[in-house]
Amino acid sequence: MIDRFIAKATLAGADVRRAAGLPAAILLIKAEIEKSGFRSLIISPDLTERAPFAEAFAGLPTALPDGALWADAGIVAADFGVAETGSVAHFDRSDGEKHPWTIPDVCFCVLEASKIVPDLEGIAPEMAAHLGRTDIPSPQVSLVTGPSRTADVENQLTIGVHGPSRLVIVLAS
Amino acid sequence: MKKKSALDPALKAVLQEFSRTYRAKRRAVLEGYDFEALRTRLAALKDAALDRNAELLERFAANARAHGSRVLRARDGAEANEAILGICRRHGIERLAKAKSMVSEETGLNDFLAARGVRARETDLGEWIVQLAAERPTHMVMPAIHLTRGDVAAIFSRSLGRSVPGDIPALVRIARGEMRQEIFASQAGLTGANALIAESGAILVVTNEGNGRLVTTVPPVHIVLASIEKVVPSVAEALDILRLLPRNATGQNITSYVSLIAGPHRAAQYIVLLDNHRSEMAADPVFRPALRCVKCSACLNVCPVYQLLGGEEYSHVYMGGIGTLFTAWVHGLDKSKALAKYCLRCHRCESYCAAKIPIADLITALAERLNDETGKVAWKRLAFDGVMSRPAFLRTGFAATRGARKVIARKDGFSRRLPAWMARYDRFRALPAPAAATFARRFEKEFRTAGEPPRPAGAKGAVTIYGGCLVEHFYPEIGLAAARVLSRLGYAVQAGPGLCCGFPPSNSGHRKAAGRAFGALLRAFEGDGPIVTLCPTCATMLGRRGPEIDGSDAAKALAARIVPFGRFIAERELAAVAAGRRPGTPAGPTVTYHDSCHHKNLLAAEGESRRVIAAANGAPVVEMDEPDACCGFAGTFCVENPEISAGLLADKLAAIAKTEAAVVAMDCPGCLLQIRGGCRRAGLGVRAAHTAELLDDFLA
Repeated sequence: MIDRFIAKATLAGADVRRAAGLPAAILLIKAEIEKSGFRSLIISPDLTERAPFAEAFAGLPTALPDGALWADAGIVAADFGVAETGSVAHFDRSDGEKHPWTIPDVCFCVLEASKIVPDLEGIAPEMAAHLGRTDIPSPQVSLVTGPSRTADVENQLTIGVHGPSRLVIVLAS
Repeated sequence: MKKKSALDPALKAVLQEFSRTYRAKRRAVLEGYDFEALRTRLAALKDAALDRNAELLERFAANARAHGSRVLRARDGAEANEAILGICRRHGIERLAKAKSMVSEETGLNDFLAARGVRARETDLGEWIVQLAAERPTHMVMPAIHLTRGDVAAIFSRSLGRSVPGDIPALVRIARGEMRQEIFASQAGLTGANALIAESGAILVVTNEGNGRLVTTVPPVHIVLASIEKVVPSVAEALDILRLLPRNATGQNITSYVSLIAGPHRAAQYIVLLDNHRSEMAADPVFRPALRCVKCSACLNVCPVYQLLGGEEYSHVYMGGIGTLFTAWVHGLDKSKALAKYCLRCHRCESYCAAKIPIADLITALAERLNDETGKVAWKRLAFDGVMSRPAFLRTGFAATRGARKVIARKDGFSRRLPAWMARYDRFRALPAPAAATFARRFEKEFRTAGEPPRPAGAKGAVTIYGGCLVEHFYPEIGLAAARVLSRLGYAVQAGPGLCCGFPPSNSGHRKAAGRAFGALLRAFEGDGPIVTLCPTCATMLGRRGPEIDGSDAAKALAARIVPFGRFIAERELAAVAAGRRPGTPAGPTVTYHDSCHHKNLLAAEGESRRVIAAANGAPVVEMDEPDACCGFAGTFCVENPEISAGLLADKLAAIAKTEAAVVAMDCPGCLLQIRGGCRRAGLGVRAAHTAELLDDFLA
């Protein structure tokens, strides 16, 4: 199932890396950020109090500063992976959780290998339950598969139109 | 931007290449899936949801309100636009960033808001391009498919006031920057919905670019404009739609972004539910299946006419065949009239439709309604109501044509050229001369001179040959070839009635005339053995459409007797045909095969004909590019749209020539008229022949 996920995510244009556990995944992301010289970073609000992300990325903003439109990279973690489509799924719980996935040029997404399910039907009950929640203002489920793409000009595939031009999935086993 | 006119060669090249790559990607992405099972399930769930539409909408609205969303109902486009304007006024919205919404095109929202001081900007790249060009989308999924990179660079240069290079990644980068600023400066975002989920009040939005995610989360207010047929009970049904929609739309496993959104992300969420005559459509038992549509556009991607004309010509707002149906309901019957004539009734779209919508049949039903409510075309009234449905008149008409042979026929079997004022009908293909004698007459002469059947009667039973009007009056040699083949194989052959099956009037929506013609033919058939047809269109009329119109048990009994020639041979005589070739005989000429639309898309007999030809010829047929692309004959279509017919034929001839085959075989006398006449005009030294003629030759 993990192999299928990797194959399908890669087919969709995602850059899938493997890491032995969450700390190794974080190190990998930090090294990538360092190597690429990324300066403006945003992190998903749901990671600011979650170990080991909170300590590793302490002080990173969860949103763009006022007036800014761009960020170099976003750091997020998926709730599930879907092998059939190579998608990562995220259940938004608070305002702004979509932005680190969508606004930056590069999105680093940590996915625990144990969270990969065979197909979308495998998480349908969780999706239905989440969307039915009324204790949070706007329950949302996002499925993200590869980078942002368009083929609107001459049917030529072009990457990175509104969303990131790179989706790096760090698969933590 | 200058309108891309019908039959623009550059547009055609883009659309045909798109269609080719689309079909390859779709095939790859559906591998391992049972498309038929998936779409049967999708059609069933949409039907079930339509049955409960009012109740599901109530539930959806109640659950959306529980999340804090506000739900508004709009009876028509004007009400929807007013509702959205009201939201803009309430929240002080002057700039609205839009994700793709065909429903907003339906209501003319952008222009409505612009006239009232609200600037609505598209953020889907294709939509943004056509908006800057002051045009309309020409494809539901690929709105700017009619524009080249050069066109887009010119549009950007003009609207940005600086020179922009015609390089696609650079154009996309520029658009990214411009649209990001627009989204951040907007006070509201608007999206459509691919589904409305009743159990949670959530909406499903699929995009590839990510603009849907930005316009729903960056501006404080989110407006959803969705039509009422989008509602489904639960996430399970939404996932069934999601499983098929991207695969069938763009050949992707899934789009880059799929969002299920319940409740307002920031300050407020408004959901405007538009009816615009869809409730009436749902209550109409004939047209109701069109509401299953999930707007995947697969039908456009494979439509031969759409590929030639593009969506500027072949649309009102919605495009192609399915668009014609929606146009009739949401924009009015009168608006659909100009579009309905473009449907070939080739039924190719139906084998790709994600929701099993019988698009071509519904266009025929629409033609009936147009005839009833807006009047009939004069020449069709004369031809169909006056002549074709009255056997005596029809016989007289054809006899008169035969009488004119001396004047119009050439020695080579073609007619002389039509006068200059009718040149558009025959310069692209030579028309056949009427035959000197009908099939019935020649059959009588060849097979019945001794007053005895050609073989001991009953050796393998009686078989009736029905060739249809073209065989009867123009190509009797095809009927004779079939009779010889069947006779040699041991059947007691008889010729069926030389009457019209009623298809031409039926196809043009002249239901009564079609019923009269079919009824006359039904009564004229004798015996009870198989009726072997030489025209797939007649076969579908006798086997399906005629009995639907007639409704009698006799019609149903007749339908059960209908067998296309290729199928009859393939199912019963394939071994005999192969054995009929003398051992050691080298394979015959290279044969390529053209799939006649009804033969493939309605009778599913394309494999059988290929097997029969291969067995008789000793070699498999050589496949041409797009063997199932319509040749452009399509009955009255080539009379109403000769330029499109010529365009389709030119592509077909090019595909035939590319195979370097000596023979192009087919099972439809109409295609034969078109392709044989086209080969003649183009000077293409390829023999166009009916499968029956080839078998007669090969087994001689």
